[in-house]
Amino acid sequence: MLVSKKIPWVIKYRPRKIDELVNQDDAKALVKAWLRSWESGKPEKKAALFYGPPGSGKTSMVEAICREYGYQLVEMNASDYRRASDIERVAKVASLQKGLFASKRLILLDEVDGVSGVADEGAIEAILDLIETTKNPVVMTANDPWDVRLRPVRDKSLLVEFKRLTKTEVLNLLKKICLNEKLICDEEALKFIAEKSEGDLRSAINDLEAVAEGAGKITLDLVKQILRARDRVLEPFEVVRNILRSNYVWQAKQNASQTDLAPDELMQWINENLPLQITDPEDLWRAYEALSKADVYMGRIVKSGSWDLLAYATELMSAGVALSIVNDVKSKYRWVKYQFPSKIRLMTQTKEARALRDTIAELIGRQVHASKQKVINYVLPYVRIIFDNNPEMAAKIAVGLNLTDSMVRYLTQRNADAVLNYVRELRKAISEEVKASKPSKTSSGTSPPTKGKGKSTQTKEKEGRGLDAFFKKT
Amino acid sequence: MLNVDEVSKTLSELLWAEKYRPKTLDEIVNQTEVVARLKQFIKEKNMPHLLFAGPPGTGKTTAAHALARDFYGDDYRLYMLELNASDERGIDVIRTKVKEFARSKLPADVPFKIVLLDEADNMTADAQQALRRLMEMYVTVSRFILIANYPSKIIEPIQSRCAVFRFVALKKEDVVSRLSWICSQEKLKCGNDALETIYELSEGDMRRAINILQSTAALGEITVSNVYKVVGLAHPKEVREMIKAALSGNFIKARDMLRSLMVTYGMSGVDIIKQIHREIMSSEVDIPESVRVELADYIGEIQFRVVEGADDEIQLNALLAKMALIGRKLAEVQAKRVGK
Repeated sequence: MLVSKKIPWVIKYRPRKIDELVNQDDAKALVKAWLRSWESGKPEKKAALFYGPPGSGKTSMVEAICREYGYQLVEMNASDYRRASDIERVAKVASLQKGLFASKRLILLDEVDGVSGVADEGAIEAILDLIETTKNPVVMTANDPWDVRLRPVRDKSLLVEFKRLTKTEVLNLLKKICLNEKLICDEEALKFIAEKSEGDLRSAINDLEAVAEGAGKITLDLVKQILRARDRVLEPFEVVRNILRSNYVWQAKQNASQTDLAPDELMQWINENLPLQITDPEDLWRAYEALSKADVYMGRIVKSGSWDLLAYATELMSAGVALSIVNDVKSKYRWVKYQFPSKIRLMTQTKEARALRDTIAELIGRQVHASKQKVINYVLPYVRIIFDNNPEMAAKIAVGLNLTDSMVRYLTQRNADAVLNYVRELRKAISEEVKASKPSKTSSGTSPPTKGKGKSTQTKEKEGRGLDAFFKKT
Repeated sequence: MLNVDEVSKTLSELLWAEKYRPKTLDEIVNQTEVVARLKQFIKEKNMPHLLFAGPPGTGKTTAAHALARDFYGDDYRLYMLELNASDERGIDVIRTKVKEFARSKLPADVPFKIVLLDEADNMTADAQQALRRLMEMYVTVSRFILIANYPSKIIEPIQSRCAVFRFVALKKEDVVSRLSWICSQEKLKCGNDALETIYELSEGDMRRAINILQSTAALGEITVSNVYKVVGLAHPKEVREMIKAALSGNFIKARDMLRSLMVTYGMSGVDIIKQIHREIMSSEVDIPESVRVELADYIGEIQFRVVEGADDEIQLNALLAKMALIGRKLAEVQAKRVGK
């Protein structure tokens, strides 16, 4: 889409000069005086702490300063200065090198209130150090400057408050943008966005951009439809229904984003309800084809760990599915009752039986050196045949694997009693033979290799082969 | 005194695939090239990390155990950690179990320990990366044997650290003579044609061949018809019914059957797909020849996606949806014909 290639409006409409900032007259005055003190070479405070609610213009102010006063911005985000050493590095590189020809620098530590106590040990001291030694202005931003940990920093800084913007201020800027973007905007629609933003200009601009994308005219209805939904987490039923009813890619993607479900869960919900909503076989196949490809991406994500691919998976499972419905478009507006993914329900219902099956598979797997899944697929079917048809052989296997009665019953419905009878006889015979036996050894024919560490019932004749001679313990 | 374990052995029965598993390299009759190279390691009392690759039932696991036994003797399990990567595939297992074992002190009497990772191609990429570091760090005390059906799923750096051994599908005479030997051990009468049928149905997979043999023995005589009976029993008939439901346009019903096959029966996606393929190619499913080809193409695609993908059921639903679509088209053609 062409729209997405444009720079985001929050960047496009950033103030270029301090005075262009919306409101914040007190802050402007304070900042200008502080900058003058730097220009004259004798700043009272070397650092300034900009604080205020999100979207009130703190970062914009910093950028405007740089533009207007010709500072080169050296920026660190909260994620960059997690450790003292990181801050020290910046302190060295940026603070002290005020070269003759290099431009003057302004150091920005964004979101200092994000520095947490334990993980960022020493970070606060490093910041204090930085303020102590800097030869360039340092600006820090914070939403909440009153955090106890920030107190030493607060004491060394000029505190500049940014006030929450009023609804009117936000509205006026939105109007300006509409004019500039040649958008037809209903006043009511803009008011709604402004109100919803609660003074956060950044989010208001983002909202306006989101609504404007793909729409020529901005109406209250459209705004409500897109924005109200946007912040709300919907029930999975609603989400799937909205996705299937989408007519545009952006719409489908937006609808897919309104859920708490993980992508693979959402995929299950769509998988479950697709055939209920879509009736035309060709539409249904196309939709499944898209879902199947989304699933392939999910598989690649799991295997490779590259979550970058998630975008493609989401697009295919939302837009890909929605736009598959072409033969019978009306079908997607039918009201049908959706259902909870029955796979999950079935899994719960059959939990016990599956647990039993898995235990059997593990027992066999240990004996035949195969994974549970392989045993289930390639061995259990044959074991079942034996248990269904040959109680004697089955009983011997049951004894060999030490299967419980319920496991035997799982393996054969029609022959369970017969098998269990033999099992009891065998066990009795075994214990009698053990009781009756003398120390003399009876050979055990084609005995299998011993399982389990350290336990060896192998006969001596096999020893001395291979590297035994070298490896044998003394 | 005899202990219970020993007596049990005389009165109990193993699965034959295990009972007749070769214990030493000498007993492995096929894979002659591989075996010859492995024996060289025994002679040199040393070996690099190994990667055994090849289709199922060709002796990879057997060779690994035989090699270890030939190295250490019957107590080889003291010096070998065996893990099945399908069951324990995460990075945690590598970091804990494998690492603990790999770096533990070497017993005085052996030159190295062995870590056997079966079905290693099911390991996650992360786990493989972790494994690769262990292979480097502890090479002085531990050797790794990795077993995989698809070596391409093993990351390149691991492959390059291993001597790769390729196991090939077993030849007809190897399978038939082995089965015939087992029959003589079990004192069973068996016809050569029955054993050949088993070979055809097992696609060179020895484990499967022996499983079929044992189940056939459980039914009675080893005859061609009993072999077919076993194979029929081993494959749930629900698969065919599911195909028929889909082709008749009843997608929902087909989907429900699929679900019970997967959840209750525990069949894997690939297994169901393979059986669908068999059914589509058999005369039991009544469709035009050209449709068999069309479906074969799509079934192949879906099998590929299952291997690549995350969720078998979604992939199989796509296949069922395709069948429903084909079914509908066939019905339309049919209706036209009748109309004329």
